[in-house]
Amino acid sequence: MYRNAPKSVSDPSSNPLDDICPVCKSNRYLNPSLQFLINPECYHKMCSTCVDRIFTSGPSSCPVPHCGRTLRKKGFRKAFFTDLHVEREVDIRKRVSEVFNRRQDEFETLLDWNNYLEEVESLVFDLVEGSAAEKTRAEERLREYRDAYREEIEGNKRVGKEEVEGERRRERAEKEGARARRLAMAREVEEEKADVEKGKRDLLERLANSDGNANAITRQAQKVILKKSSARRNITEEVLASNGSANSGLTIRGLKKKVAPVEEKPYDPFGGVNITPARFTVQESYDNEWLGNAKKDTRHMAGGYSLQEYYARTMFEAFSGLGVFIEEEVADRGQKGDPSIGTAAAAEASGGKINIGHKMEIDDVF
Amino acid sequence: MRFNIDDLPVLFPYPRIYPGQLGMQRLKCDPDANLSSQNNMRIYMCDLKKTLDEGGHCVLEMPSGTGKTVSLLSLIVAYQQYYPEHRKLIYCSRTMSEIEKALAELKALMKYREEQLGHKEDFRGLGLTSRKNLCLHPSVKREKSGAVVDARCRSLTAGFVKEKKERGEDVPVCIYHDNLDLLEPHNLVPNGVWTLDGIMRYGEEHKQCPYFTSRRMMSFCNVIIYSYHYLLDPKIAERVSKELSNDCIVVFDEAHNIDNVCIESLSTDITEDSLRKATRGAQNLENKILEMRDSDADKLKNEYAKLVEGLRDADEAREEDAFMSNPALPDDLLKEAVPGNIRRAEHFVAFLKRFVEYLKTRMKVRQVISETPPSFLAHLKEYTFIEKKPLRFCAERLTSLVRTLELTNIEDYQPLQEVATFATLVATYEKGFLLILEPYESDTAEVPNPVLHFTCLDAAIAIKPVFDRFSSVIITSGTISPLEMYPKMLGFETVVQESYSMTLARRSFLPMIVTRGSDQVAISSGFQVRNEPSVVRNYGNLLTEFSKLTPDGMVVFFPSYLYMESIISMWQGMGILDEVWKYKLILVETPDAQETSLALETYRTACCNGRGAILLCVARGKVSEGIDFDHQYGRTVLCIGVPFQYTESRILKARLEFLRETYRIRENDFLSFDAMRHAAQCLGRVLRGKDDYGIMVLADRRFLKKRSQLPKWINQALLDSEINLSTDMAVGSAKKFLRGMAQPFKASDQEGISTWSIADLERFKEKQEDETIRALTEAQRNGADTGDVQMENTRNGNEAAVARDDEYGFNDDELEAGMMELDNK
Repeated sequence: MYRNAPKSVSDPSSNPLDDICPVCKSNRYLNPSLQFLINPECYHKMCSTCVDRIFTSGPSSCPVPHCGRTLRKKGFRKAFFTDLHVEREVDIRKRVSEVFNRRQDEFETLLDWNNYLEEVESLVFDLVEGSAAEKTRAEERLREYRDAYREEIEGNKRVGKEEVEGERRRERAEKEGARARRLAMAREVEEEKADVEKGKRDLLERLANSDGNANAITRQAQKVILKKSSARRNITEEVLASNGSANSGLTIRGLKKKVAPVEEKPYDPFGGVNITPARFTVQESYDNEWLGNAKKDTRHMAGGYSLQEYYARTMFEAFSGLGVFIEEEVADRGQKGDPSIGTAAAAEASGGKINIGHKMEIDDVF
Repeated sequence: MRFNIDDLPVLFPYPRIYPGQLGMQRLKCDPDANLSSQNNMRIYMCDLKKTLDEGGHCVLEMPSGTGKTVSLLSLIVAYQQYYPEHRKLIYCSRTMSEIEKALAELKALMKYREEQLGHKEDFRGLGLTSRKNLCLHPSVKREKSGAVVDARCRSLTAGFVKEKKERGEDVPVCIYHDNLDLLEPHNLVPNGVWTLDGIMRYGEEHKQCPYFTSRRMMSFCNVIIYSYHYLLDPKIAERVSKELSNDCIVVFDEAHNIDNVCIESLSTDITEDSLRKATRGAQNLENKILEMRDSDADKLKNEYAKLVEGLRDADEAREEDAFMSNPALPDDLLKEAVPGNIRRAEHFVAFLKRFVEYLKTRMKVRQVISETPPSFLAHLKEYTFIEKKPLRFCAERLTSLVRTLELTNIEDYQPLQEVATFATLVATYEKGFLLILEPYESDTAEVPNPVLHFTCLDAAIAIKPVFDRFSSVIITSGTISPLEMYPKMLGFETVVQESYSMTLARRSFLPMIVTRGSDQVAISSGFQVRNEPSVVRNYGNLLTEFSKLTPDGMVVFFPSYLYMESIISMWQGMGILDEVWKYKLILVETPDAQETSLALETYRTACCNGRGAILLCVARGKVSEGIDFDHQYGRTVLCIGVPFQYTESRILKARLEFLRETYRIRENDFLSFDAMRHAAQCLGRVLRGKDDYGIMVLADRRFLKKRSQLPKWINQALLDSEINLSTDMAVGSAKKFLRGMAQPFKASDQEGISTWSIADLERFKEKQEDETIRALTEAQRNGADTGDVQMENTRNGNEAAVARDDEYGFNDDELEAGMMELDNK
C-alpha cells in the first residue's frame, strides 16, 4: 500500500555514535573492519581490538567508567540487536522462557492461560527494568519455580523441541515438493514442444512420401497434435487437482505422506446400475401348499433346480411395471422443459454425458 | 423509454437503447431478480434457472462507451423499486471522475423516473470519497496531502475531543461536524441523488460536514457510489462498509485491474526510514503511557480490564473516529481475548520495540532473501521470543492503546501502525504471502537501501470477504478478457460470465495488427531485437505514415518508460521525429504527474484547434488507465510492442510461481493475459461511444498469436485480412477506412440497427416471444412421443434462436457498403 513510501536517503551507518568505540575512540573511518562486541555481564560495547588488548591476559574489570564488573574474554560475543537494551531483554527472556515454558493446552481456560502469560511478562519486566528489590524478588521466584516443577519443565522442553523439529521437517518436505512439481512442469513443457516438433516432421515426411491430398494430410496432422496436447493437459490437470485437494484438506504436520494403493474393484458388468429390487425383498422361503412338494422332492433338486430362483422370478413378474407412471413422466417433461433428462436414449441422442449413476426408480431394468 | 424485462418494468432515461444493453440487462436481471417461474419458460432461461437458484456472482464484459453504467443503474434501480426487499446497490468505481460520472448518470435517471412515474420516489443516492475532497473546514481543507487532512480532521472530530469540550475544556472542534449531532441521525440530508458537488454545496448552506453526512447516511440510502478501496482494502472496509447488509448488490466497474488492487491493499513495504520512525513512535507511546499513569491511571486500568474480557467488547464504542484499524482478521480471533503478555500497555510497547529492533537487524543483511511467513516467524521466535499469537493481535492492540491514550497527532504513528499491520498480516496468513528483502535498489547500486517487501501473492484473499458476504457481486469492465481468468484468480464461481459484442451501423473502428515494416522485416519489441536499427526505423516509419494520415489526435503506447526513452532518442538520431514534427506536435508522458497533465492539456488544445498532436505514452502509465481520448482527441491509437510486465522483478516472479502452484496458471499464460489486458485497455481509449471512430494499430509480430486474447468486441471487428499487415498495407486500409468515415452519417442511420427505439424493442420482443411459443407448442405436441423427437424439436428451436441471432448480428461490411451507397445518392 505504501509502495511509494519515501526511501531513506541516509546511510544506516551514518550515526557517528554507532561507529566509535567508547573505549579506545577509534572509528570505522580509520578502521573499516571495526567490530563491536558485548559481554552479557554488563552489556557495554567495545571494539574487538580493545577486547583482545584488555582481556587476553585473563579476567579484568570493565574499562567503562563506573562499571567495574569483572569480565572474561570468553563471555564476549557479537550483539544481534543494535539496541543493547533489547539485547539484554532478549537474553533475560531466554533465561525465563527456559523455566516458564508452560503450554496453552495445559490450562483449562483461555483466561488462565492469559493470566499466566501476563504473570511471566511482569516477571520479565521486573528483571529488565525493575529496581534492585524487584529484581531479587523476581530471581527468587524464578529459582523457586524451577525447583518446584523440574520435571514438567523438562517435559515441556522436549515437546517444544519436537515441535520445532517437526516444523522444519514439514518445511523441507514442502520445498522438496514444490521443486518436484516445478521440474515436472518444465519437463512437461519440453515434452509438449518435442511432440509438436515431431508432429511437424511427420507431416513433412508424409507430404513428401504420399500422393494424397496435401490439404487433407495437413488438416489431419493438426488434429492429431491438438488432440495430443489437450489429452496431456487433461491428465496433468487431473493429477494436479488430486494433489491440490490432498493439500488443502486436513494435514498432520510432520507426517510423511503415505499413498495407499488403490484397491482394484471387481468388474461390474452393469456399469454401476443398481439392480436390487427396491419394492420388495425376496425371502428365504415362502409357505405355499403347492410348493411344499417341490421343496422336498429330490428329483427337482437333483437337476439343479433352485426354488430361490423361482421365488425371485415370480416376485419380479408380480411387481414389474409398478413404479412406472407414464402421465407423471410426461407432465414432468413438459414442466422442466429440459428434454435432456427425458430418457436415457434422448440423452444419448443429445450427445451429452449419460448419467447412469443415478439410482433407477423403476424395477424394470431388463 | 419504458419497457419490461420479464415482469420487471424498467425505465430507461434515454429514448434509444443499444441492443447490447438489452442483452446485458436480460442476463443481468436473472441473478438478481427472483423471477416467478410462470414467466421464465423461455428457452434461454433454461440454463439461467440454475443461476436464479444460486443467486451468485458474474463477470461481464461490455465495450467501453456503450452505456454500461446507465444500463446497470437503470436496471438495478428498477429492480430495487419494484421488489419489496429494496436491496441496496453498492457501486464501486476506480477514480474520482468516474464516481462523479456515475452519480450524474444516477441523478439523470432518477429525474427521468420522476417525470415518468409522476411522483417522487423515496430514494437516496450518495457518493463517498476521501476527507480531502469533501472537507469544508476553513483551515483543514487547505492542506495539500490527504493524510494530513485525515489527521487534522480526526483531531477535531474524535469522540474524546467532544467529551473534553463538554467538560468545559478549551479544545478546537469542527463546527461542521458538530452540527450533525443536532440533526436527526437518520435524516441528515433530504432524499434524492447527491453528487459530490451537490453535497458540498448543501453542506456549505446548512453548515454540516459533507464527509460525515455521507458516511453516516450510508445505511440509510439506496445507492452508494464509492471507490474500490472502501470495500476491498480490509483496513478501510472494516470501518466504512461493515454495516452494509448481506443482500446488497455489489458492482465493481472498470474492474480489469481488480486483482492488482486486491494485492496492493494487502501488501506492505518497510524501509529503514519507516523503522526508524516506528521506533520513535514507540518511544513516544512509552512516554505518553508514563504521563498518563501519573495523571489518569484509571483510564489505563479500564482499558486493561476491557482487554481481559476480549477485544470486541473494547471496541463496542468503535465508530467512525477509529483511525487505525486492523487488516483482515478472521472473526473468531476478534472475539478472543488479547494474549496476556501484551495486555498491559507497557508490556505491549516493549513488545513493539523488540519487534522493530528485530526488523532492523534483519534489514542489515546484504543479500536478497525471500522467505515464507512461517519461516520468518520461526526465526523471529528463535531470536526474540515473540510468539505468533500476540503478533496477530498487534494491530488491534495498537488501535486500542492509541484510543486510550487519546492521541491526536496520528500521522506520527503512521509508520508504527504500518509495522503493526505487517505483524498482524504475517502472523495471520501462512499461505499466499511472501517476504522479500531487497538490500539494493537495483542490481548495480552500491549504496544499500534495503526494503522489506511483504507481498500478497493471492488476489483472492482480499476479495474473499466481499464474495462471502454479499450474495450478488457483479464484475464488469470494457476489457476484461479472457473472462475465465478472473474467477480463477479471484477464487469465486460465476453464474453468468458473458462478453457482449458491439452492434454497429457502420464499421466505426478499424483494428489492425501490423507485423512487418514496409521492407518486410518483422517488427517486435522483444528483448533481443528491440534495439536493432531496422526494427526501430520500421516503428518510426509506421509513426510517420500514420501521423500523415490521421486527422487531429494520435496516441502512441510503449511498453515501458525505459523503452520509450531509448526509442525516442534513436528516432531523434534517425531524423524521424523531424519528419513527424512537420505534421503533428509531439508530446511525451513522464512519470511526473504534473508534467503529464500539462502535456495532456497542450495535447487537447492542439487537437481542438486543428493542429493535431501525437502523445507518446506508456501502456501502464496514468494515461492508459483513466483518460479518454474521445472524438478528435484520438483518431489513431498505436500500440508499439506487447506491453509485458518487467519480468525480472522478484515480486512478479514470486507471484507467477504462486499462480502456477496454486491456481495452475502458467507463467506465460498469465504474462500474456496481463499484457493483453493492458493493450486492450490502451486500444479502448479511443473509442468512447457509437458516434466515435478510430483506428487501432497493434504493431508487433507477437500480437498475431495473441489475437484470441483480445476482448470479443475488438476481436470480432478484426478481419482476417488485417491481422498480418506490413506498414504500407496498413496505411492503405487506414486511408480507405478514414475515407469511409468522412461520409456524412446521420443519427437516423443508426436507427433500428445499433440503437433501438421502443418500437424496435417491442418488435424484437414479439418476435422472440413468437419464437418461444412456437418452440413450446411444438414441444407440447410431441411431448408424448419419445424423447428423441423432443430433443429434435428443441434443437430446432435452438437453431431458430441462433438464426435469429444471426439476423441481428449484422454484417458490418454489407451495411457499410449500403450506407455509403445511400449517402452517394
